[in-house]
Amino acid sequence: MSSYRYGRPALKNSVDVQLQTAFSDGNWNTVIRLATKRAATLKDPYYEAIKMAAEAQLENTAEKCAVFGAIEELVKDKKSPDIDTIELYEWACRDFFDAEVEYADSLGPLRARWAKANPSSPLALQCLRSCLEKWDLVSAQQIATSLDKAYANTSDRRYMFWNITLTFLLSISPQCTDASRKVYSLLAVRQLERAADLTENSAKLEVTDRGLLAEEEVCLYYRVLRSHGTKEEFISRLKSPKLGAINQLKQNRKVLFWEALEALETWGEWDLINNLCREALSLGLEGEKPSFFVCDLQIWKKFALAASKVEDSESALNEVQAVLKKYIDIKDQASAMYKKNISLALLETTFRLPTGSAGDETGGLSPRVAQIGRFLDQYFERLSAFEDVKSYVAELSFDEVKSLLDEVIPKVVDEGGDKAKKIVLRTLEYRLRYLLSTCPQTLSPQLPVEGGQPQEQPSQCRICTKAASIPCLTCLKKLVVEAAATYNQITGDKELLEAIPRLDKDPRLDLALVLGMSLLKLSGLTPGTSDTNYSLWESVDLGVFLQAVLVLDAQLQKTPEDIQLRLLLVQLYLLLGCASYAYQLWTPLEVKRTIQDALSPLFFDRISDISPGLFQGPRPLMEPLRSYYKHNLGERSPVRIWDAFSAGSYTSIFDMTNYDHDLRRSSTLMMTLVEERRAIRCYGGKIDSEIDQHPLTGNINGGTVLVNKTDYGSFANLESAHGPPVQEYLRLGPGLSNERSHLAYLSEQFLDLLLYKPPKEHKLAKQQVEAARHDREYTLETLERLSNSLADILHQPDTPSRLTRSETSYYTVLSHLAAGLLVALSTPRSDPIPKSLSHLTASIKTTFTTLRSSLAPISTTEETPTTNPPAIPTLTSMPALSYLRLSSLAIRSAATFLTASHDRELARNRTGRSGVHRDALAEMRGLDANVAVKGLAEVKGTVLRLKEALGEGGWLDRVLDLVFGGEEEEEMKEEGGGGGGEVRRAVEEVVGGRGGAEEWAGKVVESWREGVMGWGMVRME
Amino acid sequence: MANFRRFRPDDLNKLSKCNLDPFTETYDLGFYLQYYAKWPSLFQVAEDQHGNIIGYIMGKLESSPDVYQFSEHYLPWHAHITAVTVAPEARRLGIGKLLTEQLEVAADAGDAWFVDLFVRVSNHKAINFYKSMGYSVFRVVKDYYGEHATDPSLSSEDAYDMRKPMKRDVKKEHVRDDGEKHEVDPSDVW
Repeated sequence: MSSYRYGRPALKNSVDVQLQTAFSDGNWNTVIRLATKRAATLKDPYYEAIKMAAEAQLENTAEKCAVFGAIEELVKDKKSPDIDTIELYEWACRDFFDAEVEYADSLGPLRARWAKANPSSPLALQCLRSCLEKWDLVSAQQIATSLDKAYANTSDRRYMFWNITLTFLLSISPQCTDASRKVYSLLAVRQLERAADLTENSAKLEVTDRGLLAEEEVCLYYRVLRSHGTKEEFISRLKSPKLGAINQLKQNRKVLFWEALEALETWGEWDLINNLCREALSLGLEGEKPSFFVCDLQIWKKFALAASKVEDSESALNEVQAVLKKYIDIKDQASAMYKKNISLALLETTFRLPTGSAGDETGGLSPRVAQIGRFLDQYFERLSAFEDVKSYVAELSFDEVKSLLDEVIPKVVDEGGDKAKKIVLRTLEYRLRYLLSTCPQTLSPQLPVEGGQPQEQPSQCRICTKAASIPCLTCLKKLVVEAAATYNQITGDKELLEAIPRLDKDPRLDLALVLGMSLLKLSGLTPGTSDTNYSLWESVDLGVFLQAVLVLDAQLQKTPEDIQLRLLLVQLYLLLGCASYAYQLWTPLEVKRTIQDALSPLFFDRISDISPGLFQGPRPLMEPLRSYYKHNLGERSPVRIWDAFSAGSYTSIFDMTNYDHDLRRSSTLMMTLVEERRAIRCYGGKIDSEIDQHPLTGNINGGTVLVNKTDYGSFANLESAHGPPVQEYLRLGPGLSNERSHLAYLSEQFLDLLLYKPPKEHKLAKQQVEAARHDREYTLETLERLSNSLADILHQPDTPSRLTRSETSYYTVLSHLAAGLLVALSTPRSDPIPKSLSHLTASIKTTFTTLRSSLAPISTTEETPTTNPPAIPTLTSMPALSYLRLSSLAIRSAATFLTASHDRELARNRTGRSGVHRDALAEMRGLDANVAVKGLAEVKGTVLRLKEALGEGGWLDRVLDLVFGGEEEEEMKEEGGGGGGEVRRAVEEVVGGRGGAEEWAGKVVESWREGVMGWGMVRME
Repeated sequence: MANFRRFRPDDLNKLSKCNLDPFTETYDLGFYLQYYAKWPSLFQVAEDQHGNIIGYIMGKLESSPDVYQFSEHYLPWHAHITAVTVAPEARRLGIGKLLTEQLEVAADAGDAWFVDLFVRVSNHKAINFYKSMGYSVFRVVKDYYGEHATDPSLSSEDAYDMRKPMKRDVKKEHVRDDGEKHEVDPSDVW
């Protein structure tokens, strides 16, 4: 994967034209011939180097390797090497770094040695760059030290700071030995301390002085100090007159201020935060013209929070209010953004005041409610109004909630101006009501027995007074009916429709989101944790669920550009098992290039379990993701790191290094590799390499923490912080995690071992024995490692909450299989087989029962002649089917692996003494025949029955009946009956009735058919 | 609702509010990091209360390569606005203007003569926005864009190269009043 960035090197000018031409033409045989001649005639070792560099370009392995030996010789030789020879060798080895050639042991030290001897040469800089691009920090630090000495007290200050930066980077890198770590840490801190002292103690600093001048230099100092210095040193410098945060802020340098607040918060230094924020905010009030430079909401929040935490919080909060008051007085001079920040700061401060301290406002409203009212008065029309007040509303007591809903909002509505604005406000009210349905203060405990009747629900909704839990279903039903009425009011009012383009957002979008989310909750949808039943049918009222999907889909047809709605629907269709339709909705989002790592899990996580057929499309489904990682992680160094060194952007160097570190350990990266490999195996394709040999897993081992950076920021989250965020409801199971990613990685390693087919080699008997011994040792070591690692992760207390039930079962099966194979292969035939093997196989059987129970049975229409389509429970639980298949295949592979090991031993040693234990073979074969074969038959049969079921006619009507109710329910409706009738009618009106939903139902059914068709082609062997 | 600060690479994991908007281009990782590496003070973001990026500006400080020094199109040391975007939910709050002002502060700190940018001649909203901030048309780059934003029958569109003088340009030597009359080819633009 590595490539030499600078192309073919130029040969020395002294080299004759004939050889130069052959070299630049890539005519390697001629180069070798000519270079050999010149070497013999001129006795110049450079020609030997040219010869070896040319030989490395040939196919022959022995010739290729000569250059490695030459480099080794140069490293051993303590003399300074020739730089042209180093350039040649580095180019010649360009494809061998990370494999045959370890840069840090070979070319890096050679470059460092050369740079030390020639620090003033411009090529020394090239040496530094080369070492950095190969991320050889040891050599790079040595070169930087040489350069710093050579250029000390010159106007180019970078040499000094490169030296310090690299010394620091090395001190925190695994490349540093433990013995040297402390030395390098001290060295970095002391150099910077000296520089900081020089700055503080000099009246004026010249560029040639070794003090701290630029913002990046100052920030470098604080970063190193925070990491390697003491808290006291950090805080003391933070208050200093020149390098302190406030003085830096006066020079428009805000980075240090942010970083200081972050550090102080980590240490709980609230007094200091309070002081720093006050001083910073007071700065803006100085001078003739006020500045709003530090009027960030975060700074106001930290100021208020710190004030609430210091000893004399009352006077501290008064001080916050006093500063805020001054800003309110000059608010008119601020831009709209800062005006809004100041209004939010007021809200924040009010909420940080002790309850009741400010007394009641006029009209009996609490100060908190009154402040929310004032904020809404100004900002209710803004798209972000709900997000702005959401967390504050969720903090209100029930009485405050009541006054907000019953007094404040109606008052704002009354004063809200035209019709369209009133609608916007009403929509906001619905969103707040949904939010409150997720807040515990809307419930009060009720007696278990009331009026002689035992109560099912332990609580009573304080809004509707009905028995309820969170959310109150009665309130949600009322919300659906009212929101739908408002929706229809808009649709039927020409004046309102004409006003929509003038609004920040079409209010029907927010109404559809309220309707959709309320219906999802009414359907019984719960967060997708390991406790969730896999079939939606078991835990969710599919009809109501489909109503939610229909309302949202109908809205998307009207406003296809809305991202929140599209993302929500992608998740819902994946839940429904309609992956191909979800993909149609996903594609226009154009998740490409840099944002893939954070956003791809929203579609691709578990995709091979839901719909492997998607991988059979004309373009490789996950190619853009794979290319992204390959392109950006191809080199060992972080992308563009030299640019940051070159520009003297020292904090950028650290942040880019951290980002690169996380990207190489991304859970999305692991998801990409695993999903693709599973899909390839589904269709019998060839997997290029073993997963632990894959270039992208080079940085991952058992102890690596795999990082999940999934971005849910664009989800419409109407939930309060009292409960799980919206994405928890929408996923098929828990999100990406370190635990799940590691289990997936280990599972693929296990399959790599089982499915490995050794090449046929003709070796002598003695060699065969030796090779067999090696193979056996490797196999046993690998099985032991995998078995231990799988078991360790599965037994971690947090793991069950990171997996679905099927995933837990699958990885448990693999863990037991690895342990079982280890027992089987390590027990001599003459010994009795340990009982642990039968325990393991028994556990596998039990786990299999769990796996099979996750599958929803498909009954035929003859068996259940109802309107509900019998296949839907299975269609919505394809991951369970997938894990039954994967587990069955793993058992089959394990049995085959054991038999093959036995056969190989028999072929080698015909006495049979070294073969696999007879009982172990029998146990594994039994597992294969009794569990795996049956499991696969069940999967095959399920797919077949699904195909048949979906081939039957009448599916459109069945789906529409589920949503709108069948004939029987229609009759009941006419007679005024039907429990969910009101909600259903509301949905019907919003989507334009049954007729308006036909096209949608067709898409849903078609997507199920496509999914099952893909499953039909999946290999079951 | 917003904080303004310098970009950090981790922000790339929080870009969805801006970059899922069809009018915002998503670049390669190297492109973002190049700007962060070379001109960190000219890469500013606005974030919401949850850390989501709701706006950003990317700029650079440079001059034309020395070989063009005697060309009439040579650009002296200046800042260039490469990209500026605001998430739909954060529009109409002046975030774009604040980000641009912050870039201008960084341009002054970097001793730039002026700040420049390219904009489609059909993008009246953006042109008016920049004019309100003190930018003026310096020249028209003919057929700069490969397609026309509003007229599908046209295969190209001109760009305005707009400029605002910075503190260093005391005599306003790098701006002109009749920029619309100065036409150049894309090859003249470095």
